[in-house]
Amino acid sequence: MTPSGPLKVVSQLLDLPLIDCNGNYCGIVDDVAFTGGAGKDARLDALLVGPGAYRGRMPRWAMWLVAKVAGDRITRVPMAKVKSIGSAVELTAAAEKLGLHNAEDRVRKHIPRVGAM
Amino acid sequence: MNPLELTLGIMTAVGGFVDISELVFAAKAGSMFGYALIWVFALSTGGIMVFGEMSGRVAAVAKQPVFNLMRHRLGLKLGLITLFASLIANLITCAAEVGGVALILRYLTGAPYALMAIVGTAVLMASMWVLPFKWIERIYGLLGLFMLAFIAALVAIHAPWGKIAGGFVPQIPHGLSTKELLVFAYFAVAIVSAVMFPYEAYFYSSGGIEESWGPEDLPMNKITCTVGFGLGSLLSIAILASSAQLFGPANVGPELLGSSALEVAIPFGWVGLLIALLGMLFAISGAAIETCMANAYSISQFFGWEWGRHRKPWDAPRFTVTWIVLFLAALAIILTGVDPMQLVEYAVLFSILVLPLTYLPLLLLAGDKSYMKDHANGRFGKALGWFYFALITLAALGALPLYFLTSGGQG
Repeated sequence: MTPSGPLKVVSQLLDLPLIDCNGNYCGIVDDVAFTGGAGKDARLDALLVGPGAYRGRMPRWAMWLVAKVAGDRITRVPMAKVKSIGSAVELTAAAEKLGLHNAEDRVRKHIPRVGAM
Repeated sequence: MNPLELTLGIMTAVGGFVDISELVFAAKAGSMFGYALIWVFALSTGGIMVFGEMSGRVAAVAKQPVFNLMRHRLGLKLGLITLFASLIANLITCAAEVGGVALILRYLTGAPYALMAIVGTAVLMASMWVLPFKWIERIYGLLGLFMLAFIAALVAIHAPWGKIAGGFVPQIPHGLSTKELLVFAYFAVAIVSAVMFPYEAYFYSSGGIEESWGPEDLPMNKITCTVGFGLGSLLSIAILASSAQLFGPANVGPELLGSSALEVAIPFGWVGLLIALLGMLFAISGAAIETCMANAYSISQFFGWEWGRHRKPWDAPRFTVTWIVLFLAALAIILTGVDPMQLVEYAVLFSILVLPLTYLPLLLLAGDKSYMKDHANGRFGKALGWFYFALITLAALGALPLYFLTSGGQG
């Protein structure tokens, strides 16, 4: 499936894992953003990634809990950076360049680089 | 297909099949109902073969582990409920396994139980930190083959093979009171749960991704699931049969984990006891790691984090922190002083409630041609899958009433 062709957003895109150009997991398609408006064709503009994008998909009380535990950041991934859509969404850029590995990088700083084979 | 890899895969599946719940319920079932529950072990082993093969096939063909696709299939809300339920079930199971490791270390060394729980958890965490996935799987799986001593013990006590073979025929023993029938039903449900624990599917499919399986590995997946799990299940059946032969007639109820080891000690003396305890130690340790990793896999895959132990711990940082926290949580549960045998009961009960939620998405995924293409479930696979799904749903519906009616199988 190509990102420029027609697709069913809910059954073919939402909640799929994202994989960057280096083969690293870098989030889930938590929501999508469209361009267009009333009377115009809707076009997919970006994928929204991060707990803030759960808003609208979860009850308000659950969203409050999510925001307390995980924050409410949202990262936009432009559709131009999407290479293909299948059992995962493959991206053309590295996760770091798209801002998708910020949390991983923060945690990584606290992990000692010793002892593992 | 590399024959060495295949043999190792099968041996690993055999050695890694048995965990604390199977040990406890097999020994108790044998002493209480003789050979009459063997068929339940055989039937539910068929179930784990079917769903294990599906989860491995999904990993090999869709190149995504089950939990990634489960969220896509179930959506965020139902996916979160499934995640939360399976986390609790797996955490209780992990705590029970850690308690089992501590008990066996205590039998072997005489040191205090709490200290052994801390030492055991530290060793398990160290091995997860140091060893890559393949080594973890192989070391614990292969050392778990000490459990074969239970089959040797069954042969040595001149088991009644005719009666054991008769146990494979579905049956309900004659002459049981209503109360005893309820206990029998509770044990049947508990065995289904113990054999088909949800963590097994998560771990197996994630393992497939860790080892970079592709469609060319499908024959190995099928053989490992059928032969490996089948032979592994024979270990549980051997424990049940020895218990029926040795404990049942003497009215001994093997309530303690160590009672199972006596099945090998009776024919082989202290050497047998030592081998049985070592087998149990490695098998339960392997299960502790599998349950902990299954939980860390599920969380990481659900939120799209880097994951896996084919990577260095710092290359999958949130996954690493997750498994460390989960192991510490399991240890904390044990250090509260809760009886590990009680945890086994809770693990089995909670897991059976989660099983339908776990296996339904897997069944749908494995039959979905958009993911699986030519490798989607055929008619036979679908029929088997839905049969076992109906079975676990029935077991899940009966689990809570049976637990309360029988006071957790006490009668």
